[in-house]
Amino acid sequence: MASVTFEEATRHYPASTRPAVDHLDLSVDDGEFVVLVGPSGCGKTTSLRMIAGLETVDSGRIRIGTRDVTDDDPKDRDVAMVFQNYALYPHMTVAQNMGFALKIARITKAEIRERILDAARLLDLEPYLDRKPKDLSGGQRQRVAMGRAIVRRPQAFLMDEPLSNLDAKLRVQTRNQIARLQRRLGTTTVYVTHDQIEAMTMGDRVAVMRDGVLQQCAAPRELYRSPANVFVAEFIGSPAMNLFSLPVVNNSVALGDCAIQVPREITAAAGEIVVGIRPEHFEIGAGGIEMQIDVVEELGADAYLYGRVTGLDNTFGQPVVARADGRSPPLRGDRVRLQPQPGHLHFFAADGRRLP
Amino acid sequence: MTTIDESASTVTRRRRFSTRRARAGRMFVAPNLASVAVFMLFPLGFSLYMSWQNWDLFRPAKFVGLANYHNLFAEDPLFVIALRNTVVYTVGTVVPTVLISLAVAGVLNRKVKGISIFRTIIFLPLAVSSVVMAVVWQFVFNTNNGLLNIMLGWIGIGPVPWLVDPKWAMLSLCTVSVWRSVPFATVILLAAMQGVPDNLYEAARLDGAGELRQFVSITVPLIRAAVSFVVVISIIHAFQAFDLVYVLTGHNGGPETATYVFGIMLFQHAFGFLEFGYASALAWVIFAILLVLTALQLRLGRRRAAQEERSWA
Amino acid sequence: MGVAERVIKPSIVRGVVLYTALTVIAWCALFPILWAVSGSLKDEGEVTTPTLFPSHPLWSNYREVFALMPFWRMLFNSVLYAGSVSIGQVFFCSLAGYAFARLRFRGRDTLFVLYLGTLMVPLTVTVIPQFILMRIAGLTDTPWAMIVPGLFGSAFGTYLMRQFFRTLPAELEEAAILDGCSPWQVYWRILLPHARPAAMVLAVLTWVNVWNDFLWPLLMIQRRSIATLTLGLVRMQGEYVARWPVLMAASILILLPLLLVYVIAQRAFIRGIAVTGLGG
Repeated sequence: MASVTFEEATRHYPASTRPAVDHLDLSVDDGEFVVLVGPSGCGKTTSLRMIAGLETVDSGRIRIGTRDVTDDDPKDRDVAMVFQNYALYPHMTVAQNMGFALKIARITKAEIRERILDAARLLDLEPYLDRKPKDLSGGQRQRVAMGRAIVRRPQAFLMDEPLSNLDAKLRVQTRNQIARLQRRLGTTTVYVTHDQIEAMTMGDRVAVMRDGVLQQCAAPRELYRSPANVFVAEFIGSPAMNLFSLPVVNNSVALGDCAIQVPREITAAAGEIVVGIRPEHFEIGAGGIEMQIDVVEELGADAYLYGRVTGLDNTFGQPVVARADGRSPPLRGDRVRLQPQPGHLHFFAADGRRLP
Repeated sequence: MTTIDESASTVTRRRRFSTRRARAGRMFVAPNLASVAVFMLFPLGFSLYMSWQNWDLFRPAKFVGLANYHNLFAEDPLFVIALRNTVVYTVGTVVPTVLISLAVAGVLNRKVKGISIFRTIIFLPLAVSSVVMAVVWQFVFNTNNGLLNIMLGWIGIGPVPWLVDPKWAMLSLCTVSVWRSVPFATVILLAAMQGVPDNLYEAARLDGAGELRQFVSITVPLIRAAVSFVVVISIIHAFQAFDLVYVLTGHNGGPETATYVFGIMLFQHAFGFLEFGYASALAWVIFAILLVLTALQLRLGRRRAAQEERSWA
Repeated sequence: MGVAERVIKPSIVRGVVLYTALTVIAWCALFPILWAVSGSLKDEGEVTTPTLFPSHPLWSNYREVFALMPFWRMLFNSVLYAGSVSIGQVFFCSLAGYAFARLRFRGRDTLFVLYLGTLMVPLTVTVIPQFILMRIAGLTDTPWAMIVPGLFGSAFGTYLMRQFFRTLPAELEEAAILDGCSPWQVYWRILLPHARPAAMVLAVLTWVNVWNDFLWPLLMIQRRSIATLTLGLVRMQGEYVARWPVLMAASILILLPLLLVYVIAQRAFIRGIAVTGLGG
């Protein structure tokens, strides 16, 4: 068990213009569960593979514990990886798959057997130990992939979108199992996903990446409450935060016919800012921004209103989303007023940074 | 009423469509089928028929029942010699071929710079005819002037009668045969190796496997089907060897019949002695042996191969 | 002390080992041919010395080949036979392959199993009756003997093409049918153009086979005027046993056209092997 640290790690593929991973600085504490999340191409998988040694590090260092492993072979790093499509050895049984690494490490047969049984019990794989991967369902194969990682008792687990090949229901189930397992074993885990819900529910901390650059790494709550920039603000939370790019006039911005006060420190810094409000932070009622509803999504407990801000002289402006109570939501075509809840406004500079 | 008519005409149209396709199908296959029937099926039956006769093409054939087979097994000392030589040649070709081509394919299965040039070079002997190579290797093996003996002379070893001495002739023959077969086997094995997914190797590296271990535990088991295929084809090919043997060691089966294999024996009896009946009987015996060998091979291999294939799903 | 340091130990050692292995293997593959080239440029005295480079390259050896055997004639014959059979095989086997893959007719599947069965039959069994057949048809010692047996296709070629056609999406054909194409048009306009990888494999295999064939020309051909290069070389070997340089020159000359074909076709050929599933 050890910490995992990226120190200015960079990976630049010769063919492309920008680095796949750009001077990444991130440290995962011993026993922590950190999720790397972001849209495809953001560099999260590449970063994971750099820890494993499957990608060369062009500049910067990778440390596992106190050891600098940047130049080490994968087999010397003592990390285990769960691949997206599991990479199970098709010609070996489940037991042999799990025991392969242990056999190479020359662990005694008795110990190998014991570890495999332990892991199998933990993952409900006992009845399948003598089967081959082709005879298993997707969920079972996924558990074998995890079992293969667990028996090695490595310093860190690396997981590359392990749930993406499962159907939705299984995904939720397995998500919980993985989180519980990690808490029980206490192994440092770095987990990659493109699904922000997985990230928010599983991670101790979440690192949001975009175009190879780390945007923000913080606990899920922090990411939700104070996103560091527009990208994070939009990425985290579903439906996404409403973002309006507006000029500042007299310490306020105008949304439709509603004026929103902007704190003075912020207006001093910028002429045009981006204002963010999450759909769930509107009060539907008497005052605030006026909205023309185009679509109502009823989800049972909640309903989401999709529409546009209506302005002076009935012009239609920016799109806006608001959450309403599912019991009796407004109808399509209605106009409602949305009052932003105090304390839930986010302000960003024109370049995306959070203000102040 | 209109509906009934319509549906009737739809049915006939559909039937006409499928009959047209069926007719096209038969026509497309016809020339091919004719060729296969004339040059494969007919000879199959005819040679069996001939094996029950004594015939030399000029005088009328005489029915002798199973006498040819009886003579082959019981009275012809050369049959046993040919059998032994053929088996030695086959084993001496197939085993080294498979081992060497596994290794060569393993080395070629990399994405390093310039690998395609090496692949082109190593596959070159594929294009070369056995006959041409036999002529060249004769030169290499020549007792007095050959390359090998000259080089051996440098380190003080006397000239080895590679092709002239019965003890060495088979070895020389096998060497050339292996040299000839390795490229073909390598192509097949390499293609199979390239079907192994990359991330199995990544998983193995993380599990601590070095290069050799990856090759032995991952690559080889997963190309078992291709290896079987190569073994079967190589055995069938080696068993019937003729071209190479003829050119390298002559049409009499080499020094003191050291390289007298089935291919030579058949040629001799059919086109030398004009004993077509006897030669046909020999041909069928060879066929039968090959069938048994191949069936055994396939039975052993198919069960494992099917497992491998399905596990890719 | 950044990137350079990193590159040294593991990759360079591994690289050196790898390239050494590759060079050794390549040398083993090439040396007989290189040796033949070198021998072909020496005189009869020097040919027995194991020097790779001849002291004075004797191009006259090559000229002598033309004097000793009707090289151009034989080249023409080899090209004629190999070319016609290759074209015939590709055409008729792809036609039949298409039929087996996509056109339903009665008895199709049993027929195909029969085809597969004939693949097992060794040459030794069929060569005598084929010889007799040609004798009876009066085609011995004619170019037809070399062309006809393979011209209309073979079981192997049909198997290859059928397997390949089955990997093509059915929608291609269906779209053509909807556009009003007859089966022939579907074959000629749509499928055949798409069949290039498999056709390449078949064409190259056939060409090499016919070009290098020895037994059949040996049996069928007496006249030099219709002989193949392969046959010519062996006859020459019989007549001029000790004249190594000239023999080597002849060998190289015979190799060259084939090498040319090979180098051109190689990439397509290797890709074709993977596509037609010959690799098991």
